[in-house]
Amino acid sequence: MDTQSTRIPLISLLRKIALICGVFAAIICILVIVNYIQLKRIDPLNTPVMASLQERLKQNPGDDSLRTEIRELDLLARKAFFTSQWQVRMGGYLLLGSVLIIVICLKWIELIRPNIPPIPFPEKDTFWSHRMIRRKWITYTALLIVSGGLLLAFLTYRDLGKSLNSLETTLANQADSVTPVKKEKAVAASQVILADTPRSRDTVVATAPALPEQKFPTRQEILRNSATFRGPDGTGIVAQTNFPVRWNGITGDHILWRTEIPLPGFNSPVVWNNRIFLSGANTTTREIFCFDAGSGKLLWKTDVSEVPGTPGTVPKVDPQTGFAASTMTTDGQRVYAIFATGDLIALRMDGSRAWAQNLGLPANHYGHSSSLIMFRDLLIVQLDQQSGSAVIAFDGSTGKQVWKTNRNVRVSWASPILANTGEQTELILVADPIVASYDPATGAELWQVDCISGEVGPSVAFAGGMVFAVNEYSKLAAIRPGEPRQVAWESTDYLSDIPSPVANEKYLFLPTSYGTFVCYEANTGRQLWVKELERPTYASPMLADGNIYQLDKSGIMHIFTADSLGTPVAESPLGEGSVCTPAFSNRRIYIRGEKHLFCIK
Amino acid sequence: MKKHQITGLIVFFLLLGWHVAAQVIQRFPRPDFESGYVTPETLQPGARAGFLELVDLLVLIAAISVTSWAVLKRRSRLLVFWISMFSLAYFGFYREGCVCSIGSIQNVTLAIFSGGYRIPLTVLAFFLIPLVFTLAFGRTFCAGVCPFGALQDLVSFKPLKLDYRINAALDIIPYLYLGLAVLYAATGTDFIICRYDPFVGIFRINATVGMFVFAGILLLSGIFIARPYCRFLCPYGVILNWISRFSWKHLTITPSVCVQCRLCEDSCPYEAIVKPGPWKNPESRRTMVRKFLSGVVLIPVFIFLGGWTGSLLHESLARVNGKVRLAEELLYPAKRLQSPETKELIAFKASGKPAQELYVEATEILNRFYTGGWILGGFIGLAIGAFLLGKLFSRHRTDYEPNRGACFSCARCIDYCPVQS
Repeated sequence: MDTQSTRIPLISLLRKIALICGVFAAIICILVIVNYIQLKRIDPLNTPVMASLQERLKQNPGDDSLRTEIRELDLLARKAFFTSQWQVRMGGYLLLGSVLIIVICLKWIELIRPNIPPIPFPEKDTFWSHRMIRRKWITYTALLIVSGGLLLAFLTYRDLGKSLNSLETTLANQADSVTPVKKEKAVAASQVILADTPRSRDTVVATAPALPEQKFPTRQEILRNSATFRGPDGTGIVAQTNFPVRWNGITGDHILWRTEIPLPGFNSPVVWNNRIFLSGANTTTREIFCFDAGSGKLLWKTDVSEVPGTPGTVPKVDPQTGFAASTMTTDGQRVYAIFATGDLIALRMDGSRAWAQNLGLPANHYGHSSSLIMFRDLLIVQLDQQSGSAVIAFDGSTGKQVWKTNRNVRVSWASPILANTGEQTELILVADPIVASYDPATGAELWQVDCISGEVGPSVAFAGGMVFAVNEYSKLAAIRPGEPRQVAWESTDYLSDIPSPVANEKYLFLPTSYGTFVCYEANTGRQLWVKELERPTYASPMLADGNIYQLDKSGIMHIFTADSLGTPVAESPLGEGSVCTPAFSNRRIYIRGEKHLFCIK
Repeated sequence: MKKHQITGLIVFFLLLGWHVAAQVIQRFPRPDFESGYVTPETLQPGARAGFLELVDLLVLIAAISVTSWAVLKRRSRLLVFWISMFSLAYFGFYREGCVCSIGSIQNVTLAIFSGGYRIPLTVLAFFLIPLVFTLAFGRTFCAGVCPFGALQDLVSFKPLKLDYRINAALDIIPYLYLGLAVLYAATGTDFIICRYDPFVGIFRINATVGMFVFAGILLLSGIFIARPYCRFLCPYGVILNWISRFSWKHLTITPSVCVQCRLCEDSCPYEAIVKPGPWKNPESRRTMVRKFLSGVVLIPVFIFLGGWTGSLLHESLARVNGKVRLAEELLYPAKRLQSPETKELIAFKASGKPAQELYVEATEILNRFYTGGWILGGFIGLAIGAFLLGKLFSRHRTDYEPNRGACFSCARCIDYCPVQS
């Protein structure tokens, strides 16, 4: 058969199909647009009829027939709206289908009747002249981009970075200046509660006059450093980013430096700018060490001796606690440390002693291990012991007691955290039998929930207003925000006796000392995943860069995503065992091993 | 009515209709569910099962392999066309344009610059596999697999020759787009390639007005300017262009010896055929050497000038970042008074988060943009310098050859060559 003769009817047919589909598409398009305009003009939930009926119902709230009529009208309006919406959507699909048919027809025509381009007239050789002109046009474009960029920069430049910096400082100062006012209010409130309600187990023993004005770290400085056990505020959450995930302490990969620590201790590193602080102790000696963050060089060490009131005999401590289990803290002007002997000491940044005192030998059968924390210029000590438990705040510059709140709790080994609830900063402590919150400026108790028991070692986790407390042979309890504070959910499946949990807005991550790591949905307590790390874990997890960093006792850092999947990211060995929680600051991780301090970059 | 006029009208109707269909969905505000259910974002489709991701990967490899075979061995434009239609259906309408090799640039960048982000292996494969095939066989990915290219090819009914001066000017745009996409991904600000993707709205029948308008402009202009997105915007095309220049086997117009019939001279809608020549440079050798040396000296100047401009622009660039915008809104209440508070500002205030924290974060982001501005500007300066330097010289050719960098390996030119074996 003649190919040409078969092609012509086919092309004619394809053209007709394309034309019919084109007309169909145009009609559908018009209908869809009209429908769309109608939908735009109609607000199905706010029609005048509906408003009038609602008004009548307000006047006659008991009129059930009117209520039914409103419901029926509402349903009708919604049905009409969604039907129109469905029509528009179907119209879109019909449009798509018809246009596809048109394109197919036209492409088919193109394929069976290719458009052979005419052979162009021979051009004179313009290659180099065109190239020259192209260069010019590239230059013009470049000039246009540069001048456009400069113009945009000129019109929009505000030195935003400088403004943000200065405002941040101003806000920090403003926040500082309002402290005494808040403090007075909080004291008054707490006194009312104490007088009227028997639920409080505590007594405010002493309050101090207004704090002397002095400089203490801005929020920016606190977030930039790691001045507390488990990072800023002690919550285990690191605000900075870009931390390493892979290293090898055996080969030295990503290990910036490694320095031997002169004395043993289970406290974690404290970082302030370019300095790292640790304490160490044995039965005869107690020392504080300062290392250079850049090189790991030991800058100074200070002997903690001749502290007024130090007992003549050393306390009996468990080998797993030791004499220097409490992590130090700093406000950038001084560093503070506490030992199992009850010695509390403040050193200036050059290692010279600012003040020292003994709090009395802690009645603690394993040895005191609660870490220190700073709130503005107040050094806060959680001193939970077999009798006479208390939380005490000292003036960081003088060592004078600012406030002391007695706690009707049993001995504990947990550490305090600071929690910003949006309304104020709370100091949250856990010990058998309560999780309790205090105003860190005054020591006034804000709330307490009776939910925990036993020898409490893990500190609480805080995120999104929720507080999470856990202890072995007791339970995991999630305390919801709001008044009154109540337990939202509990679980007893997995419990920890040493490492503390950490949480973000969505998830709670709970390690156990026997090497299991569990993730819960923070709001509901639904268990999302469980991981077996296969080695004991004493260090607490840290949440940085959207990852969980969990160090096991053999020194392997298990890193996985802090989400509902817990996807493994890396397992990085330190090269020696460790039970200390790592410190994160300025893209570096500092880990205290059994014998060495490591800096990972 | 002429064919291309009909097509233009149809495309216009199509986009208008789609836009209308998409807009209706947004009429009701999103409800807040008490159960905690979070309405998914429509920026990208939901997660895909592992084995289906593997299927996507296998389809990708198979499609590029078959396209490469069709271009290099079978030398069939028709086959390439049908593969591209399959890719349009699969990667476009079925997979809704995601995962996509073009957007994967951002995932790779984010994975490099952010320790907290782990790139999914499928995305990494979608980034790397086309590059590997391009190094081997030229841009066969563009010819038969990229759904964006396929869609534009579909509407390319009346491709016209673009003035060479405009071509020269527009060639810089993809470099700018690539630089910006990398900057915003590296700073964790946004995936702008995905956000301003012109075609996913069509694939998903759901997009913003801006995206539909952008798609409309591209498709309407695509009737007369073949593949405008691929040639003058595609950031992935920049990388493919570089790699394709060194490809092991590339499409040839003639399977044997060029008979200089000139039938193919105007056959490429992308103007990617290099004519024989150049014959004689009117400029003296001395002038050329002087120009070359000037170019070499000027490139660092271009880099510095570009970097400096980029650094000055860092605030403007950083304003795309939500935290910087929020911090600025808090910082300049006078400006805010002119318009109602944004939802972001209301949410931030309700969160109780201290302003200082936001300012700290915004300052850090600004610092990153300052460094990024220098790098972005320097990159653009380098690209412009390289363009200028490249225009000084040319390799002498005796046959009609595809421009290896710009050629999409679509195999159109093959049909015009009278030499069959």
